[in-house]
Formats: sequence, structure tokens, C-alpha cells
Amino acid sequence: MNLHELIVTPFTYGFMQRGLLSAVLLSLSGGLLGCILVLRRLALMGDALSHSLLPGIGLAWLLFGPSTPALFLGALIAGLLTALGSALLSRLTRVKEDSAFGSLFIVFFAAGVALISKLPTQLSLAHFLFGNILGVSPADLGLSAAISGLTVAAFAIFYRSILLETFDPIFFRATGGHGGLVHAGFLALTVLNLVAALQTMGVVLALGLFLLPAVSAYLWCDHFARMLLLSVALAVAGSLAGILLSYHAGLSSGAAIVLCLGVFFIGSALLSPRYGLAGRLFVANPDQRPDSPPKVK
Amino acid sequence: MSIATHNILRFRDVSVHYGERLALDHLTLDIPCGSSTAIVGPNGAGKSTLLRAILGWLPLASGDIRLGDSHPQHLLPRLAYLPQRQAVDWDFPVTVRGVVEQGRYASLRLFRRLGEADHRRVDRALEELGLTELADRQIRRLSGGQQQRVFLARALAQGADIFLLDEPFAGLDLFATEELTHILRAWEAQGRTVLAAVHDLELARRGFTHGVLLDATLVATGPIDTVLSAANIDRAFRHGRCVHDRETPLPHTTDFPP
Repeated sequence: MNLHELIVTPFTYGFMQRGLLSAVLLSLSGGLLGCILVLRRLALMGDALSHSLLPGIGLAWLLFGPSTPALFLGALIAGLLTALGSALLSRLTRVKEDSAFGSLFIVFFAAGVALISKLPTQLSLAHFLFGNILGVSPADLGLSAAISGLTVAAFAIFYRSILLETFDPIFFRATGGHGGLVHAGFLALTVLNLVAALQTMGVVLALGLFLLPAVSAYLWCDHFARMLLLSVALAVAGSLAGILLSYHAGLSSGAAIVLCLGVFFIGSALLSPRYGLAGRLFVANPDQRPDSPPKVK
Repeated sequence: MSIATHNILRFRDVSVHYGERLALDHLTLDIPCGSSTAIVGPNGAGKSTLLRAILGWLPLASGDIRLGDSHPQHLLPRLAYLPQRQAVDWDFPVTVRGVVEQGRYASLRLFRRLGEADHRRVDRALEELGLTELADRQIRRLSGGQQQRVFLARALAQGADIFLLDEPFAGLDLFATEELTHILRAWEAQGRTVLAAVHDLELARRGFTHGVLLDATLVATGPIDTVLSAANIDRAFRHGRCVHDRETPLPHTTDFPP
């Protein structure tokens, strides 16, 4: 196989072009949102949220068939129900927020699996769980473009507010910022992007596109803006490599993309000179390590 | 005091609820402009609540808090708030300069970048707190005292008139504590108004000229040495009780097996 067959031939098919474009678009927004998930320690919450979208999709399919807007709305409602339900549970009962979220999402997920296995369609459960690039219709692509554009625009316009709300929400409030608004906007964008990523990534793997590039970038950067840019770059590179891998090896696209991004993450964790394993092992003077502050004279 | 002072902060009959409880109970007091004031009192006395009430984050159940003088053409004084050190994520990808630049964000409009004047202010703040050489360091790679100074520099870059500090000495070692005391003393000499919640009475005595002793109600206010008299401390912290008066005896250590 020559280079042409490796890289160019796959994208002569319309479905591959759509899949690639959709993945790249969502990498732009996913790379950005992932950084906030990592820095605010919301990674597990995001994962739970993406699992909980399944019953919404199943129900929408059952009622309206494979129509993009219906599936999208169904997933959105399921996600909002999980988020709202767990917030209410943790306030009104003794159950703490993490247990509330964990319990609700697993119940939602089970309901989704049950629903989808009863669907009158040839599509297998795996399609919903792990993504299928064949499934990206032109309508899906339009949706991905709109959501990605919205997310990137929000980050460009409100960059400083997002930085302050992530780093120091108390200070943000004290200087007249609307912390609640920024946080709500962030959650809404996260759900929108998760839903948009379902076709290529599947509910189980969707968060990988957000989380892995961000956590890799976190291991290299000392500036918030650079972390955002590196995260986006890694997400795009990972999606591209993953889609090629899925085509040539016949893997589900979600799994292939997550595997490629996983290589970035493991590589960063091992090799980052300052915050990785390499930094810990090969920096001779303990005072130079990032976790030990320099001595005051 | 020989110079006629005016009050930059005036509390009139201020009450704040914290759940069922009254965290601040009909407080009336004045903070003189250019003073450094320690807010002291036992746990749950409302020290942090007082700072938050000044920032306008808590609804007042009664009374009001006035900032600045009543002159209609004078600008309201600007507030800077320093978070507790434990509340900061020190692994965040941000450098010393990046944090200090945040002090300028509130004065910028959407789409505008930091201008030359902003950068000058940031440089001055870094310089004043001796951070110029550390400006490009990630904030984890600083000592505790340096970390505290970064946030003081951010407050300076804001161009604030009143500095509200929540437990600024918590977790600092001896050297850093002395350094911070020194900085706060210097700020007071320059006419900056500092208001800090402090739980260590000795530090309050050494670092501040004024004091506010709280136990939900106001116990005393005025020059720090008068406020922290033995009688006042007893009233605020012990309510006239003594640990040895308790009916349940304190545990005996003699019962432990050898």
C-alpha cells in the first residue's frame, strides 16, 4: 500500500469525507471544552453525562425513527434530566452529588441499552455505544458545524471570563463577573457537543475526544491559552489518524479515534519533561522538580 | 489620632442570616480610610461573612453598608478580594504574570486586549512585590510567601482602594508571615485600606493598627491594643466560661496501657 492509498483513497468516498469533517469540527470544540473539564475536575461527571444520553436517543428512535433533530432533542433531554435530577437528589436527600450522579446515569444507561436492543432496526447496539462513521448524514454534519462554530465563538469572545471562572471563581465574582452564567453556558455547550459527537464516537467513547487531548496538553503547558491551542491541535490530529485507522483496520471509528488520542496521552504522561514521569525520574536536583517549591533564601 | 480621618466603610445596623442563625447581629461600625484593620473572633463569629457582605454577595437582613463618602460626585472605592490560599488550584497552567494580569480583566471591554497602560500597571505591581524575576514561573513553583505575594500583586494591579483579605496568614511559615506583616504595614503607611480576617490574635496585634472583635455581635472596635484587651477576648471567645468548668471531664491520659 502506498501513501496515496493510505491517506487519499479513503476520502474519495462521500461518507468518509463527512465522517472526517464531522470529527475534525468536533475536535475543535471538544479540545476546548475538554480543557475546562480537566481543570475543573469534571472529567468523570462529563463521562457519566455522555452515558446518560442513550435512553433519549433510544426513545426518540422508537417514536420518530432515525431523524436527526429528534435524536438530538431526545439526547439533550436525557442529559438535562440527569443533570437536573442529580442536582435535586443531592439537595433534597442525604445522597451526595457524586453518588447521585453515578446512580442516575447508570440507571439511564441501562434503560437506554434495554430500549435500543428492542428497536426494530438492523443497527446494532454497538453502533450507538462506539460510533459508526457510516452514520454521519449531511444533516448530522450541518449540526456538528453549527455546534462547533458556536463553541469556538464562545471561547473566542468570552476567553477571559472563562479563564477567570475556571481558575478563580470567587475573584471572578468579586470583579463583577457572572460566574453562574459562564458555568451554565459551559454545561450547555458540553451537552450539545456530546450529542453532536455521538454519530462518530458513540455514547461510551464520546468523552474521549474531549478529555484525552486536553489532559495531554495539560502535561505540557504553563499557559492557559497554549493549553487550549495544543489540545485542539491534538484532537484534530487524533481524529484524522483515528479515522484512517478505522478505515484500514475495520474498527469502529470511536474506538480508533480514542486509541490514537490515548497514544498521545500515554506518551505525554511518560515524556513530558516537567510534569510527566520523565521529569520525575531524570531531574537530578530535587529543588528543580515542579512539586517542590524553590527554597527561600 | 492627629489627622482628621474619614470613614471609607460604614456599617449601620447590619444583620446577615446564615441558614437559621444570625451570622452578623446588628453591627454598627466604621472603618477609617487608610487604616489596616484585623477582623478577629472565634470560629463562626462572622469574620468571612463580614468580608462577603462588603462585596455584596450576601443579602442583608437589616441595615446597610456604605462604601466611600456620601459626596455624590466622588467615585465609589474599588474593592479587591484575596481568596484563601487553600482555595487556589496551584497546578493551573498559569504563570505569575498571568495571574497579575487578571487584575486588569475587569476594566477591559470584550474583544480588547491588554493595552500598554495595563502592562505598565502589571509590571509595577510585580516590581513592588519583588516578583519581577519570577514573572514567567508557573505558580506551583513558588514558595508559600511568594504565592501569597502573587495574589497581593493581582490586587494591586486592579487599582483597588480597599483590600479584603480572607485569612492571609493561613499556612504561611514564619519567614513568610513576617514578610506579609511587613508588606501590610507598608501598605497602611501608603494610605491603602486593608481589611483582613485573622484568627491568630498575636498576628492581629503585630500586623494591624485597628481591630474589629466579633462574636456575631460587635464586641469591640478601635485601635488594636484596646480591642484585644483581656476582658474583651474573654467576652468574645470564652463568654466567661473556662474549659475546667465543664461537667463532662476532659479525657485522662493515665488510662492508656503502657
